[in-house]
Parts: sequence; structure tokens; C-alpha cells
Amino acid sequence: MQLKNIDRGGAVLAIAVLAILPLVFDSRYLIGVLTVAAIYGIWSVSWDFMSGLTGRENFGHSLFIGVGAYTAGFLNTVWSMNAWWSLPASVVMAVVFALIMGIPTLRLKGPYFALAMLSGAVIMQRLMLIFWEYTGGEEGINGIEPLIRSPLHFYWFVLAVLVVTTVVLVALARSRWGLILKAIRGDEATCQSAGLNVTFYKIASLVISAGVAGMGGALYAHYQLQVSPQLFAVVTSITIITMVYVGGMASIYGAIGGALLLTLMTELLRNFGEWRLMVYSVALILILFYLPQGLVAPTWERLRRSLSGGRS
Amino acid sequence: MSLLSVKNLDKRFGGLHAVKDVSIEVETGEILGILGPNGAGKTTLYNLLTGFIRPDNGQVLLDGQPLLGMAPHKVVGLGVARTFQLCRPFVGLTVLENVMVGSYGPRVHSTDLRARAMQLLAQVGLAGKEDSPSELLSYGDQRRLEIARALATEPRLLLLDEPFAGLGSAEIESLSELIRDLHRNKGLTILLIEHKLREFMQLVSRVVAIDFGQVIATGVPQEIVKNPKVIEAYIGKQEPEHAA
Repeated sequence: MQLKNIDRGGAVLAIAVLAILPLVFDSRYLIGVLTVAAIYGIWSVSWDFMSGLTGRENFGHSLFIGVGAYTAGFLNTVWSMNAWWSLPASVVMAVVFALIMGIPTLRLKGPYFALAMLSGAVIMQRLMLIFWEYTGGEEGINGIEPLIRSPLHFYWFVLAVLVVTTVVLVALARSRWGLILKAIRGDEATCQSAGLNVTFYKIASLVISAGVAGMGGALYAHYQLQVSPQLFAVVTSITIITMVYVGGMASIYGAIGGALLLTLMTELLRNFGEWRLMVYSVALILILFYLPQGLVAPTWERLRRSLSGGRS
Repeated sequence: MSLLSVKNLDKRFGGLHAVKDVSIEVETGEILGILGPNGAGKTTLYNLLTGFIRPDNGQVLLDGQPLLGMAPHKVVGLGVARTFQLCRPFVGLTVLENVMVGSYGPRVHSTDLRARAMQLLAQVGLAGKEDSPSELLSYGDQRRLEIARALATEPRLLLLDEPFAGLGSAEIESLSELIRDLHRNKGLTILLIEHKLREFMQLVSRVVAIDFGQVIATGVPQEIVKNPKVIEAYIGKQEPEHAA
């Protein structure tokens, strides 16, 4: 079999299983878990596109998520706009923040970008509390309308958004653009002497990454029907980075596997009660220790190679 | 008219006067050598010419067009390509991909960039290694890859920074042949920094000798090797044998 066909077959099978699962086990709980996993998938693939490919780690992806979610919250409740406006508006707002963060910091070498993103997210979380009269403070914004009434249909919509963004980002990563981003990870000075405007490519990929993450934030707001400063929390960013590592860096699609695995693991471990976090952490450490290249993408690479009969 | 004209270039790093009032004219189609002991300011000169650092003073004109103050990728866009003293292949990319990355600039009009990259690799003697990971190449092959990537930008002027450093004599000989070939068949103007005196002198048509950031002599190789200032910079001042 051709590798390309194996990839397509695998993707179709995975999408079909994810779409049909809630029909087989009819449970609101399962739909909820899968919806959250798919939203984490959107956040993870968008993180991987910028940071996985260029190697410039973004420790504050939650900044874009929070901005997207609050944009949805404001538009829908304060200005009573139709819920569907949330999606384009959250993309625009996240892109604005990406430019504000990226233009000054991505010109520089060194850890400035990573640190600026981290502190940017922390500052936004504080600002949400300081300006509580407008943002609702700790409570956040409540009474957000759902995008789609039926939870199952909303889940399918989120899944569709995930599939479309992943297809687009994978295509970009395999194009000239992706090659340039990988070259930037290799050596920036050499890229410059190869005639590439390195700063432009880094900022542009952050803009794409942020836009997708912001839209994911809006979807999350319309799923929770509520937003809170907790969205900006550092732990959200760290969770996303962990999902990408478990999935396999720079593969894009692997991040979805990581998101699904970690979300399911969190749910399944609820039986462990107060031991949950410890079991979760030990499992993660073991995965990353024995599989530093990640779990999902390398496993798929091996599987597709054996399916194709050893041809590369 | 000269292709590259460097006028009164000056750069200080704190107390170190790295490049001091340097003026150089590079004629179209020549191989000009820049000679000088370690720390003479040769690499700083390259970094100034290619936009990686900004000078305190001076002017650089490419075909009459000022280059100073331009970002490195814009300088490449005007046709000045360089290689680095230490090879810097893009880790994780194949040999072919390394060359492809060099071909996305404004000077490349080919529609089939892949075929063009394959051709460049064949030209520098890396045919058959297109798909190997670039970091696994031998040091000599990495140099060739550096040159292929620089050529991919379609330069008018190629700046080579110590291309022979760390190579064995057989590799040096074949790399010299490649440089000569690029000059002869592509009509490329080449600026060359080197230490390896013998190969260097055979390759270049003219030499600019630099010491402590200053031009100390200019001339054809035969003259330069006899110049007392150059000899002094390289082997130290000769003591008078009989004190008066």
C-alpha cells in the first residue's frame, strides 16, 4: 500500500471512531469528555504548529485561549451578539495579541519570547481580577449561550473544526512554509544568510497558531457557557505542551492523540481519588522517560511503515 | 566599475577596534583573497558586509547601491551570499532540503526548485547524497553543502569564510577545484578569507592583507608574500642580526 493512502485511511478511521463513539455509548458524560478532548486537540495542534516546528517554546498559549474565550463571553452577554460572531471575533482578537507579543520578542534570540508569553498570560489573568467590574472577577462571565443546543451536534461541530484545522496545519507544515520553520529551528543565522526573513516567518506562524487557539477558546466558552480567569492559568499552557510532547513534537496530528490520551487519562483516573495526580504524573514521567520522541506520532510512523511492507 | 566597493568601514566593540578604516574594491569576476592572522577582523568584516552587524562608520556599495543598514536577508536578496567558518547545516533537514531553503529568495526564478537544487548538489559533488540527514555528512561534504546553499540564492558575489578550515589536504585540493570551477564557469565574483597560504595564493587573483583591523597591503599574491608588513604580521618582526 502507498504511504499516502495509509495516512488517509488512518485519519478517516480515527475521525469515524471519534464521531461514532457517542452513538454507540449514549452518554452525556462521554460526549462532554470527548468535546473537551477535541478542544484540547485544537489548542495542542496550534501550539505544535508554531513551537514544535520552529523550536521557539510558547509557555503562555493560554493567553490566546483566554483572549478568545473572553471575546466570546463579552460579545455574547454584554453586547448580546449572536453566538456565531464569537468565532471570527475570537480569531481576530487572538491575532491582535499575537502581534503585540510576537513583534517585539520574536526579533530577539534567547528566551525572551518564552518568558514574555508566560508573563503575558499571568498578567492577563491578574487583569481579569483587577477589572472585576467589567470582567466579573473571580466569577468570570456567566450566561453565555451555547452555539448549538444539542451537545452531540456541538461535539461533532468541534470535531469538524479540529479536523479542518489539522488538515490545513499539516498541509502547511509539509509545504515550503513548514520547511522554512524547521530550518529556523535548525539555525536562524543560516536561514538569514539563505535569504529568509526569519522574524517574519516566526511572527506569521505565531499569528496562525494564536488564531486557531483563540477560536478554540471561543468554542470552550460556548461549551462551558461561562468563562473565568482560570482560562489564562499557566497550568493550561503546561498541559497543552505535555499533550504535544506525548503526541510527538512537530508532527501536528500527534498532538491530537496526546490531547485525547491525557484527557481520557484524567477522567479514568478519577477512581483513584486523591491518588489521581500522583498516578497521572508518574504515568507521564514514564512515557516521556521511555519515549522521549513521544508516543502517538512515532507509534503511527512505525505502524504505517510495517503496513506498507517496509517501503519508505 | 567595481562590483563591491567598501569605503572607510569602521567598527569598535567597546575598547576593541575590530575594523579600522577599511577600504576595499572588489572587481566583477575576480577572486579576491582576504589574508590576515587570527583576530585580524576578517569575519567581522564579513558580518558587516552581510548585514549581521552594523558598522560605526563607512559605506558599502554593491554596484553603486548602498548595502549598509539592510537586514541580512535583504543583502542576500541583492545577490551577496556567504558561508560560515563553522558549518551550520539545518539539523533535521535532508541535504536536498538544506539547499531548497536557500532558493526561496527573490532572485530565483526557476519553477522547478527541486530539480534546480539537485543540479546544484551535483555541481558541488554531492550527487547521490540528497536524502541523507545533513548533520551526518563529513566535514568536507558539509562545506560543499554550505556552498550549494549559498549558490541556491543565485548570488553575484560569494563570500567564503575559511572554506578550507578543518579539511585534509585531499579535500582542500578538490574544494579548491570546485571554487575555481564556480569562478570560471559561472562567472561568479568571489571573496575568500583563508589561512591556508599555499592553496589560497594559487586560487586568488588579488590579495588584501589585514592586521589589527587595518588594511596593511594590497596586491597580487607574488607581491604580498614578499611584503615586509605581511611577513611581520605572520611570523613576527625580524630582529636585525648584528646590532650596530
